[in-house]
Amino acid sequence: MSTINPPASQSNSQNTRTLSILVENKFGVLSRITGLFSARAYNIESLTVARTSDPSLSRITMVVRCEPLLAQQILRQVEKLPDTVEAVDLTESNCVERELVLVRVKAPEEKRTTLLTEAEIFRARVVTATPDNYVFEVTGDSGKVEAFLDVVRPYGIDEMVRTGKVALHRNLSAKNGDTEPA
Amino acid sequence: MKQERKYEMTAPQEQKSHPLAGRRMTGAEMIIQVLAEEGVDTVFGYTGGAILPTYDAIFLYNADRQDRRHEQIQLIVPANEQGAGFMAAGYARASGKVGVFIVTSGPGATNSLTPIRDCMADSVPVVLICGQVARAAIGTDAFQEAPVFNFMSPCAKHVFLVEEPEELEATVRTAFAIARSGRPGPVVIDVPKDVQNWEGVFRGEGKLHFRGYEQRMLELSRSRLSEESCGAFFELLARSERPLICAGGGIISGDAAGQLSEFAKRFEIPVVTTLMGIGSMDTTDELSLHMLGMHGMAYANYAVMDCDFLITLGARFDDRVAGKVQEFAPKAKMLAHIDIDAAEIGKVKTVTWSHVGPAREALEDLMRHGEGFRKDFSAWLEHVRDLKRQHARNYNRETSTIQPHQVLECLSGIVKGEAIVTTGVGQHQMWAAQYLDIRHPRSLLTSGSMATMGFGLPAAIGAQLAFPDRLVIDVDGDGSMRMNLGELETVTTYNLPVKVLVLNNRGDGMVRQWQKLYFGNRFSGSDKSLRQKDFVKTAEADGFRFARRLTDKSRLEETLEEFIAFGGPAFLEVMIDPEACVYPMVGPGMGYKEMITGDFIVGRNPVDDLSMGAPPSDSF
Repeated sequence: MSTINPPASQSNSQNTRTLSILVENKFGVLSRITGLFSARAYNIESLTVARTSDPSLSRITMVVRCEPLLAQQILRQVEKLPDTVEAVDLTESNCVERELVLVRVKAPEEKRTTLLTEAEIFRARVVTATPDNYVFEVTGDSGKVEAFLDVVRPYGIDEMVRTGKVALHRNLSAKNGDTEPA
Repeated sequence: MKQERKYEMTAPQEQKSHPLAGRRMTGAEMIIQVLAEEGVDTVFGYTGGAILPTYDAIFLYNADRQDRRHEQIQLIVPANEQGAGFMAAGYARASGKVGVFIVTSGPGATNSLTPIRDCMADSVPVVLICGQVARAAIGTDAFQEAPVFNFMSPCAKHVFLVEEPEELEATVRTAFAIARSGRPGPVVIDVPKDVQNWEGVFRGEGKLHFRGYEQRMLELSRSRLSEESCGAFFELLARSERPLICAGGGIISGDAAGQLSEFAKRFEIPVVTTLMGIGSMDTTDELSLHMLGMHGMAYANYAVMDCDFLITLGARFDDRVAGKVQEFAPKAKMLAHIDIDAAEIGKVKTVTWSHVGPAREALEDLMRHGEGFRKDFSAWLEHVRDLKRQHARNYNRETSTIQPHQVLECLSGIVKGEAIVTTGVGQHQMWAAQYLDIRHPRSLLTSGSMATMGFGLPAAIGAQLAFPDRLVIDVDGDGSMRMNLGELETVTTYNLPVKVLVLNNRGDGMVRQWQKLYFGNRFSGSDKSLRQKDFVKTAEADGFRFARRLTDKSRLEETLEEFIAFGGPAFLEVMIDPEACVYPMVGPGMGYKEMITGDFIVGRNPVDDLSMGAPPSDSF
C-alpha cells in the first residue's frame, strides 16, 4: 500500500465528484439513484455498491463528472428518497480512496525482469502468469493506478478491469453504517 | 442489491392491541382493513384480472356494513384509470387527505403513470395500489404484465413491490405515512395477485422502517426558527423599503394560509402567489396582488420587478415564474426562502436567508419574534395600489363575440369565491386563474407543473366526493374536455352535482397563441374547427339533464346563474372568441421587463411590439 495519500481532490481530474451514499439495502434503490443522474444525461464514471457492516444498509460510491453545484443539487434529490440514509460529496473532504485494477500485460521472456521491477514500485502483485502474460493486481487511489497503467502500457495491455473507486471519510460519520464495534 | 430482507416492525404494543389483531385474513382483506384505518372513505379505480381479489375484498367489506353506510368505503369507477388517478388527486387537493386509487396490472398501471407524475410534480399525496401478476410470473412477459416498479420509480415519491406477503400490511400503512409526510407526494404499491390471495395473520400495527427518512421527518417536525434566525430575518425586513411575499403551493399543502394572511397583514407586506399558491391568500384582499409569472397579473409582475426584498414561502422559482432567472426580481437584493424541502433552497436562486421546515410553524415563530417590529411601508403600499389600479386585468369589452374573461368574471360574481374550481390546461386555465376570485385555500385545483390536459373533469369528481355539499365547478377547454370525455358519464352515474363549464374556442388555444407569436400563424395540429363533436349532445347522451350551449352574449349572466343553480350535474358549453389570447405574457425564457400586456391591459414598458415574433426560446 503506498504511504502517501494525497487529498482526493488532487488526484481527481477536473469536475469529477466522488459521492458516497448510504442506503437501505433493498432492491430498486440503486436504479432509483442512478436514475437521478441518467435523467439529466450525466454518465456515471464508476460505481461500487456493497453492503456495510450493518447488512441492512448498503454503501454506494459513485464517481460522476459534473459541476460541484450540480452534484450538490443531485445529492439533495438523492437525500429526499425514503431509502437514502445519507448522501455526501467526498471530493474535497478528508477521505481515503482506493481502486483495485486487474490488468493482463504482455510479458515476453526478455522483458519480465524489468516489468517486475517496475511493478514493485507500485506494489503491484502478479496474481497469475502464462508464458506470454502477467496478470497484475494493483490497489491505490486514482493517481497511483493511472501511474502504474502508464508504466505498463508500453509493454502492451491485453485487457484490464477496474473495480471503480471506493472512498471512506477518515472520521466516523454520525449515521455511518460501517462502525464496527470496537 | 437483492438481499435477504428483514424489515423491522415497530415493537408490538402490549397494552391495547388491535381488535382484529391475530385474525386470519387474505392479503386483499388486509389492504382494505388498513385503508379503512387510515381514514379512507372513498377509493377510485378500475378493476381487472390482477386486482380482482382486492376488488372482491372491498365488496365484502361493504357488504358486512350494509346497515352502517358511513363505515363503508365507497368505490368510484371511472372510464379510464387516468380518470381514477385525477379523481384521487382532486379528492386529495380539495381535502388535504390522502387520495387512493386502485388499478389492475399492465395497462391499468401504465394508464396511472400520468396522474402519478402529475401528483409528484404538484406535491399531492395519493396512494396507488396496483395489481401485479403473480410473483412466479414476474419478468416473464406474462399477460398484462408491466414493470411497474421500474417506470413508477423515477415518477413517484416512493414505490413498493410487495414480495413478502408478511410485509403487505405494514407496507400499506407505511405508504400513507410517506405520502403525507414532509413534502407530500404519490406512493405506489405494486401487489402481486398471489400476495393478495395469500392468507396470514393480521397484526393491526407496524410500519416498515426507513431510518434516514424517519430521522429527516423527525427533524423537520421539530424544526423551529431560532431567535437568532428570526432576528436575522427582521434585520433584512428593517433594511427593506419594498418587501414582497411570494406564496406557493407549500402554504396550501402546509395548511399555513391563515398564518400567511396574518403575517402579511401584521407587517403590511403585499402578497403575490404562484399558480399553485392561489387560495393561500384571499385574492380579494387589499394586500393580494394575485398571481405572478408567465401569465401573472401585470401589477403582480411589476411588483416583483420593483421589490427590494422577496420573501418566498413554499414556492420554488419554477420556469413559469422565473423564466430568466438572472433577471427575476432584479432589484431584490435580499431574498428569504422558507420551504419544507431542503432541495429547493438555492436550487434556482441564491438566497440571503432560508429556513427548512413547515411554513405554518415558521410564520408563527416569526410573528412571535416580530411582535415589537414596526416599519412603515406605506409608500411602497401606495405604489403597489397604483400598480393595481393602472395595470388592472382587462380584455376586449366592446366586441360582440363572447370573451372568455367575461364569462369567468361573471361566474366569479355569481359564486363569489366560495366554490371549488378545477381546470383543464391551457388558456382557460390561465383565464380562470386570473379572473376568478379565490378566497380560500384548496379551492383552485389545477395541474400546475405537469400541466396535464384532461385533469379538470376527473379532479372535479374527486373534489365533489370529498365535499358532497359544496359547489364544485370544472372550468374546462374543448381540448382538455376531449382528453377525459368518458368521465362525463361518471358524473351522472354517481349523480354528482358537478358543474362542467366548457369554454370552446375550437382548438388548442394556448398552442395557437404560441403559434401566432412564434411560428408565423402555422396552426399545426391545434386547429379543431372542422371537428364534428357536439358537446351538448354528448353530455345529454351521458345523462346530463342540464346541457346547454351558449352563443348569445346577452344571455351570459342568466345562463350562468341557471347553470350554477341547477340541482344536479350540469353542463354548459360557451362558444368563445377563438382569437382571444392570454395576457399579460412573459415569453418563455424572458424576463418580466419583456412582458407583453396586449391591447387592453396598460403596460408600463414600450417593448410590446419587440417581443412579438421573437424566436421561440429553447426553454419552452
